[in-house]
Order: sequence, then C-alpha cells, then structure tokens
Amino acid sequence: MNRKVKSAIILNLLLCVILLVSACSTSSNTSTASDNASTSETTETTQPTERILEDAMGNEVEIPANPQSIIASYLEDHLVALGVKPAAQWSIADGTSVQNYLQDSLNEIPTIPSDLPFEAVMSFSPDLILMDTAGMVEGDKYEQYSKIAPTYVVASDEDNDWRKKLLRIGEVLNKSDEAKEVLENYDLKAKEAKEQLEQEIGTKPVAILWVTAKSIYVPNVNLSSGAVLYGDLGLTAPQAIQEVSETGTANWNALSLEKLAEMEAEYVFIVNGKGVTKDELLQDPVWAGIPAVKNGRVYEYDKQASWLYTGAIANLQMIDNVMESILK
Amino acid sequence: MIKKASEMQQENSTTEEQKQERVASRPLVATLILFAGVAALFFGLGASISLGAANIDFKTVWEGIFQFNPDLTSHQIIQELRLPRALAASLVGACLAVSGAIMQGMTRNPLASPSIMGITAGSAFMVAIAFAYFPGTSHVGLMIWSFAGAGIAACIVFAIGILSKGGLTPVKLALAGTAVGALLSSFSSAIAIHYDVAQDISFWYAGGVAGVKWVSIQLLLPIAAFGLIMAFTIARSITVLSLGDDVAKGLGQRTAHVKVLGIIVVLLLTGAAVSVAGTVGFIGLVIPHITRFLVGMDYRWIIPCSSILGALILVLADLGARMINPPFETPVGAITAMIGVPFFLYLARRERRGL
Amino acid sequence: MESVKHINKRAVASMGILALLIVLSFFISLNMGYIRIAPIDVIKVFIGAGTEENQLVLFDFRLPRMVIALLIGAGLAVSGAILQGVAQNGLADPGILGINAGAGLAVVLFIFFVQGTSSGLGMLSIFVMPLAALAGGMLAASLIYALAWKKGVTPVRLILVGIGINAAFGAALIIFQLKMNPRDFMQATIWLSGSIWATNWKFVVAMLPWIIILIPYTFYKARYLNVLSLGDHTAVGLGAAVEKERRILLLTAVALAGSCVAMGGGIAFLGLVAPHLARRIVGPKHEMLLPSTALMGALLLLVSDTIARNILSPSEIPVGLVVSALGAPYFIYLLIKTN
Repeated sequence: MNRKVKSAIILNLLLCVILLVSACSTSSNTSTASDNASTSETTETTQPTERILEDAMGNEVEIPANPQSIIASYLEDHLVALGVKPAAQWSIADGTSVQNYLQDSLNEIPTIPSDLPFEAVMSFSPDLILMDTAGMVEGDKYEQYSKIAPTYVVASDEDNDWRKKLLRIGEVLNKSDEAKEVLENYDLKAKEAKEQLEQEIGTKPVAILWVTAKSIYVPNVNLSSGAVLYGDLGLTAPQAIQEVSETGTANWNALSLEKLAEMEAEYVFIVNGKGVTKDELLQDPVWAGIPAVKNGRVYEYDKQASWLYTGAIANLQMIDNVMESILK
Repeated sequence: MIKKASEMQQENSTTEEQKQERVASRPLVATLILFAGVAALFFGLGASISLGAANIDFKTVWEGIFQFNPDLTSHQIIQELRLPRALAASLVGACLAVSGAIMQGMTRNPLASPSIMGITAGSAFMVAIAFAYFPGTSHVGLMIWSFAGAGIAACIVFAIGILSKGGLTPVKLALAGTAVGALLSSFSSAIAIHYDVAQDISFWYAGGVAGVKWVSIQLLLPIAAFGLIMAFTIARSITVLSLGDDVAKGLGQRTAHVKVLGIIVVLLLTGAAVSVAGTVGFIGLVIPHITRFLVGMDYRWIIPCSSILGALILVLADLGARMINPPFETPVGAITAMIGVPFFLYLARRERRGL
Repeated sequence: MESVKHINKRAVASMGILALLIVLSFFISLNMGYIRIAPIDVIKVFIGAGTEENQLVLFDFRLPRMVIALLIGAGLAVSGAILQGVAQNGLADPGILGINAGAGLAVVLFIFFVQGTSSGLGMLSIFVMPLAALAGGMLAASLIYALAWKKGVTPVRLILVGIGINAAFGAALIIFQLKMNPRDFMQATIWLSGSIWATNWKFVVAMLPWIIILIPYTFYKARYLNVLSLGDHTAVGLGAAVEKERRILLLTAVALAGSCVAMGGGIAFLGLVAPHLARRIVGPKHEMLLPSTALMGALLLLVSDTIARNILSPSEIPVGLVVSALGAPYFIYLLIKTN
C-alpha cells in the first residue's frame, strides 16, 4: 500500500518536474526569439519616416514607414475609404461569408477567419496589424500578435464612432489628410442629402426595421444606421424608436411587436433577414396600421447591404439607398 | 458508475413506494384546483390580453375581441398579437407541465424533466442547421425544423435505451438523454460559432411566446390537443407504472407498451412547446411537484391539474416578461427560473421528501 | 497480497503507457497547424537552428497553448475524480458545483461592463478576466455549499442544490448575453463553450502553481477519498472526520476547477469522462486512480485541442465542443454495454 502511494507520488512529481523544465527551457528560448525580432526591428528604425504611436490600449507601437501588407479585420471599410488594400479580409464560415457591400473594392483580397488565429495571420506575413477593439486581443494576445507584426489597437471598447476610427487609421497609415478629405466629402454629401430630404419629407417620421425570423430590431438613434439617418440626414425617428434608444444600449434593440403595430412611421426601410418577401411581410395585419404601409412607402434592402455596418463607405451607400428610395 | 447511480435510484424509489402506500390521492382538493385553476386561468388570460407595451383601455380590449374592426390598430394588436400570445402561453405551459409529470411518473425520478430527454438539444441542433445552411427560413419553417430535431433526438435516446444491455430502464433513459443532449448541443454550438449565427439562435430560443402568430397556434393546437388527450387516457397506467416496474408487471400491466406511449406523448408535447416557445425551463420540473404535493400520487388527478397549473404559471410569467422592463421583453425562461429556482432549492433542502 | 501487487504493477504500467501517449501526441500536435512545418524543421528549432518564423510559431503559438491544455486537462480531470468520490455519484463533475456557470456569468458581466476599460491596470490587466472567472466560480461553489448546508452536507443535497443554482446563473447569463452586441456575444459564446483563450507563457506561469501544489495534495488525500466514496455511514464507522475531510476535498476540487475554468472557459464533460476512463484501466482505488486520471485528462484535452485547432483550419472551434463530441459517444457506448 505504502509503496504504491510512494511510487505514484514519485511518478507524478517527475511528471511535474518535466513539465516545469520544459516550460522554463522553452520560455528562455522565447525570449531569444523576441530578441531577434526586436533587433531586426531596430535596423528598420533608422528609416526616417517610421513613427511610434500610442494605441487605444496605451501600447507604444512602431509603425513601419510604408506598410505593404496590412491586416485590419472588420476595419476594411476605413481602408477602402482611404484607398488602401488590405492583405486579407474579414470572413466567417471558411471565407464563404464576407462583407458583401465592400466587394467592389475587395473582390480579389483573400479571406481570413474573423477570430484571427495566429498562424493564419502569420501566413500573410503582414507588416502591420490593426485591431478593431481591445476585446480582440483579450488574454494578452496582444503580445503574441505583436511578435508577428506591429499591432495597433484602434479603439478601447465597442466604440461606434467611425469618424474617430477613420482618423486614427488615417494617422497610422500616414494618410491623415486623406481621412479628413473623406470626412469632408461625406459631410458635404450628407448635408446635400439632408437639405433635399428636408424639402421632400420634412419631419415625417422614418423607421428603420431589421426583420428577422422571430423578432424585429430597431437601431439606437445614435448608433449604426440610426446615426446616419437620424443624425447625419436629420430624419425624424418614430416615437417607439426614440423610446427604445433611451435605454437600449446595443446598436440594434428588439422592438415589441405591439409598438410596431402602433408605429406612426410615414417611411419604412426594411433590412430583410426573414426569408419572406416584402409583400408577404406587409400582408401581416400587424403591419397594416403603419402609415408607410398604407401609402406604399416601404423600401426593402437585403441584410447583405451596408445597413448593418458602419463606416464611410457603408454610410455613403446607405445615403444613396435612402435618396433613391425616397426621391424616386 | 452507472451501477452506483441506479443504486441511488433504488434507494430513493423504495422510500417513495412506502410513501405512496401512505399517501392516498385527494380528489376533493384536485377538483377544487381544477375549478379554481380554470377560473384563475381565465383571469390570467384576461390580464394578459389587457396589458402590454401598447396602452389599450379595457373597453377597447373588449371591443377588439367581440366587435373586431380590422381598421383599428388597437383591435389588430388585440387580435393578432395578444390573443395568440396568451393562448400559446397557456398551451405551452400545459404541454410542458404534463410532459414533465409523465416523465417523472414513468421514470420515478423526481428530477426528470422534458429537457433530459435531449429534446431541447435536438431541436436546437436542427434550428442551428437551418440558420447556417438555409438562411432566411421562415418562422413556420423553423418551427418544423425544430419539431423534427426534437423527434430525432428522442428517437436516438429511445434507441439507446432499447439497445442497451439492461433494457429500457428509467435511469438509462435519463443518462442517454443527457449524453445525446451534450453531443447534439456541442454540434449545434460548433455550427453556430462557425457560421456566426449563435446570437440568432439564442434570440430564437429566448423569445418565448412573444412573436407567436395564429399560424403557429394552428400548428400547435392539434398536436397539443392530441398529446394532452393521450396523456389523460394513459394517466391510470402511469399511476401503476409509478409504483415501480415490478409492481406494475405484477398487476398485469404491459409496461413496455405504456412506456412507449408515454414517450410518444412526452415527445409530442415537448416538441410542440419547444418549437413554438423555445426553451422555457422549470415548468416541466416544478409544476408536477407542486401538483403532487397538493393532490397526492394519483396521476389521473395529477395530469389534468398539472396542465391547468402549468398553463396558469406560464401565462403569468409571460405577462411578467412584458411588464418588468417595458418596452423591452425579458426572456420568459428567466422569469420561470426566478419562480422555479427558489422552490427547487426549498425542495432540495427538505429531508428526503419531495425529491 | 500477490494479486494486489499484480494490480499495482498493471496500474503503474498503464500509467506509463498513458505518459508515453501524451509524449507522442505532444509531438504530433506540435507538428500540426495551419503553417506547415516539417518534422525535421521542428527538431531544428529545438536544437536552436530553426528559422525565426518557425521558432515563433512553435514556441510562442503552439507550445504555450499545448502546455496550458495539459495543465487544464489534468486539473479538470482530478477535480472531477474528487467530486465523483465525494458525491458518491459517477455523474458528478465540476459543472455540478456551479463553477462553470459562476465563472461564465462573471465573464459575461466582465465583457458586458468592463472590457476595454481595464487597460489602465498595467501588468495586472491581462489577469482581470481570469480572476473574475475564478471569483465567479468560487462564489457559485460557496453559494451551493452554503445552501446545501443543513447540519452537514449530504451528497444528494449538494447535487440537487447545484442543479438549482446552475439554472439560476444560466438564466441571469442569458439576460445579459441577449443585450450584447454581436461580436461581444460571439466572444462570450466561445468562452462559454470552453476554449483555451489564454495562450501564452505568462498564463502558463500563473497556472502552474495551482496544478503542481493541488494535484499532489489530492494524491496525499487519496485514502480519505477511498473512505468517503464508501458512503457516509461506513466512513464515520471507519473513523474518518467525514465533514472536515469532505470540505477540504471539495475546496481543493473547486480551486482546481476554478483555476482551469479561468484559463480554459467552460469545458464540459472532461471532468466527467476522464475519471471513468481511468477507473476502467486502474480500478477504483484513488491512490492509483487520481494520478492516472490526471494523465488521462491531460491526454484527452491535448488531443481535443489539436483537433479543435486543425479540423476547420485556419479557423478554430472551441475545444470544449470537441471534448463533448468525443466524450458523449464514449459515454453512450458505456451506457449500452454496461448492465
């Protein structure tokens, strides 16, 4: 009995020691590896245009002078707006699902899984990695990504201000002027559209409804497509959407169907993810009381369109959609 | 390990048998519950139809039901949203409570509830497939997928029970249900994560009866009615079976026959409930306990009383889901858990009785 | 005596085989990944002659994750074995003590309220999430113990209260999760499914003390487990201070599982299956059972994580799902085979 216990303990102590030793030896190797990496980086610092910028998490990031291969998953909108092609683009489901609305520009860019596995990132040999939010590098993944390439975290949390993001990315890519220009152009276009819409529909309420199999979502008036239509284009949100926005913090919040039935919207934009056609949807008696439905002012866009995204390109497309629908 | 679990089971069941000999049924209480319950249910349904995110006064509610005018939005809300919702809540509540009662009676395991048959996991698996590979499946389509998934899972669990060496014992069925449930939910999670549909699926399951339309009721009602009637007809046999396999056989019952019928009833009722309302926990577990506590051990009383009480609780919980944080809906499953957990803990802390 | 010795030898031999299998899978796993590295290059890296890129892949990406997998696997498995002994129930696993649910709720709250604002804490900031998970797991476990307390704790009551508290935490979890933005939701879902998200050497260092102190300590306590698993009456009869030993062992199990869950998320089934597999090989005596359970758990999680990394490469699936997908069929097989 005793011997049995003893041998078991010894065996396991041995195992632990082996693990410990292997861990120690490998970690010392790691440090040499990173030493190598940093020496190779210091040779690059001699180039005059390389800069050190502080990112949203407070990391000092050495930005290469002229990055050629950039990975900026879910930030592609901003890159496209600045005329930069990324090395790989955000995707899910083995690259079969991408951000459709950007495919005019990103058609030939290979895909990378949205969770950005280290080895997948590495296979593109990027020289700059842009991370959308701090959540993507949770668990000190930052350290590991930055061993592949300088890694810059754009926003500290789920920050929905795309203007700030665009300006920051412009700064990182040495394209601050271009970023400002994009914003100016956007504001100009939004202002023109706003004036036209003001003449056309005044303060008649306009609703955005994302229709899924079981529920209906409305955007917060200050976020996502709500910010574009109710902010930039100055449209009036129906009572129910304003009410939901007061406490609903997410980009999109579920709307009670009773509130939908009572909605006083004169114009309705449907982001359709339901699998039924607009006509079938509008036959539902719950929808029948909405003024927009009575007057035939319901416009439908697929959920693959830019309505569920945010960024200069996405928002411009949304504005185009609104104009072509309402001023038709 | 299985041996150990079954030993535990036997220990429990002997005490339960002793109890059964002592505790007779209480028909008087049961009749009272049936009448009071039905009255309370009508009252609950009335409240459920009168209260909601939209403010509609009682007079309009009355007119909306009995003098329906399709041009009025408030009447449409009553007719198209609140009526089907209230009816679905009561049907789903009845289905879950009755299938829980049958499961507990058949398996003689007080912890048995429909979810351990792997039914919910099976339904979630098929819904995940529908979301991932057939995006844009309609509401009714998803209900059918969900029902099919529930059926497949129950068949697998049942087949394992039959195939296994010791035959179809209640413990085996419960264990097989747990294992099949774990397997299927790992598949559906993998699909959900890989195809980025996890949130859609969660919304579908947490949705409760909020978006129920008449067409869902049309699908639910015949299945639920058939299942409930079947449940009432086998109630006597379930009582005999709840005395234990040996006793039941000694009394001349064809136990396998009853078990198959019982499982079909559970499948029909739970599958229908899950496909309409998603996951609503604790009704199937807690209501049969409360009912047994009130009316005794005779399943001829337990099953009808469970159905009334289950319907009542879910109608009230759904009302709570609407009223707690308006204009947002709180998941109704969270509310039934809030009611159910304290009661469950109370039962668990009681010495050897009830559980 | 002769037969005891024989069994003993057999058990030690099986453990040797398990250890060999671990070493073998370790090298196979090291060679597998999205970036192909030929075995010869792996060896080159180990003797310090590899390319910088290969060094990075092996030492910074693959190795720390594999080591963490081994540690978590061993920890969860031993925790499961302790709980099965203490609860006298073969179906007990760390999830029953609410550790997964408690840690899960803590992480969901963390992602919902805190994430991104903790960067000011410097070195400590990377440990905020695992610490939150650990605290949540511990809280849930003590809540369950307290509620199950009634002049002592019986195994059945512990399990029942565990089911109730798990359901309550699960309900709270879904309320918050449904309010999240899609990407936070996905992050939370992946964590809840069990994925080794802490993948660098800092976490290995943070994890190691728990494992190398607690696991040998449970080996030392093995004989009490033998007594406890005979049931309370026998245990008291044999003179064991039942409640005290039970509490110490429970605390150890919670600490082990809590630290594992903090690093590896809600990995289900491992704590359930590993002790069963080990029991089939070396029998029910805990002196042999616990070490081989540790080895078995480490092996299972290493293999599962290798599959999780590679099956849908380049994207990954949470390892917890692989464990369930492998564990459940085995469980069903057991069910069909045993009487």
